[in-house]
Amino acid sequence: MFLLVCVLLAFGATRSGGPQTQQDRIDLVTSHLACPTCSGESVFVSRASAAEAIRTEVARQVGAGIRTDDEIISYIEQRFGSQVLLVPRSTGLDSLVWSLPVAVLIIALSLLVSAFARWGRRTPIAPSTDDETLVKNALAETAQDSNES
Amino acid sequence: MSSKYLVKIVSSVVALVLVSLLWVLIISKPNNDRVSRSTLLGQSAPSIVTATIDDQPFDLQRRKGSWVVLNFFNSTCVPCVNEHHLLVDFAKREATIDNGAELYTVVNDDSDDAVRNFFLKNGGDWAKLKDENGAIAVAFGVARVPETWVIDPNGLVRLRVTGELSEGLLEAQLDKLREEFTS
Repeated sequence: MFLLVCVLLAFGATRSGGPQTQQDRIDLVTSHLACPTCSGESVFVSRASAAEAIRTEVARQVGAGIRTDDEIISYIEQRFGSQVLLVPRSTGLDSLVWSLPVAVLIIALSLLVSAFARWGRRTPIAPSTDDETLVKNALAETAQDSNES
Repeated sequence: MSSKYLVKIVSSVVALVLVSLLWVLIISKPNNDRVSRSTLLGQSAPSIVTATIDDQPFDLQRRKGSWVVLNFFNSTCVPCVNEHHLLVDFAKREATIDNGAELYTVVNDDSDDAVRNFFLKNGGDWAKLKDENGAIAVAFGVARVPETWVIDPNGLVRLRVTGELSEGLLEAQLDKLREEFTS
């Protein structure tokens, strides 16, 4: 069952989405680009004039059919800078955004596993001779007190 | 290594990183430099084939041989209005010197009539280029106006100034560029 789920997930993640219309490509590309004059809005949803201009340019390039989606995104990035990317690149310094959380998670899990293992191996502390004498004396005193009463 | 010792080391490292970040924030200077970077600097200028608001054709390719200054403008933008008198002075100065630059306004998201009225009122007889659908602005990566770009006689982008011009900035930069790139 587990194997079947893995195979289906792998198939779903890698299969092609089939032929896209030009509008699908325009929507996809513009949803990956941030509006350069507004905060937190993609070019796809923004009504700002700068976003509209970028949408028009993306539509023109998709219509021309010369560039791939990634190349169009790179073109806009070259013009407006990397702050226009809503999804950070997986190369260069930007790749830290993806790799750092994974690295931190792995390190944290490793530390937890090693801590649990250490706690499990911890041997019980054996009482010293002095401790045993103290306990014996205390028990003897208690027994004596209860006999007197 | 005892856990107490480990905790001390980790907390010292975290404290050191935080203090370093704070120090960087304290010593870093705000970026007030209007002369900005662009991947277009040193590259061929994007193609501009358009018309003026008076319906005269314009092709940037045909301006090769001259220094060209493009000023992205909107009549309702306050910095654009503020810097306008500097551009008027700049255009007058350039008209009087050899190898003077040609100044063009690129109209950004504004009506032809509004631009025409603004120039009638505030002066400036240079050509005003239409930017249909913001294509020129996207080609240069202009998101906010004003921006001013300088293109050399070989058609290569040499300067980008973002925001409002300060007095003498454009003249000084252009003189420096002319000295550097005019053979």
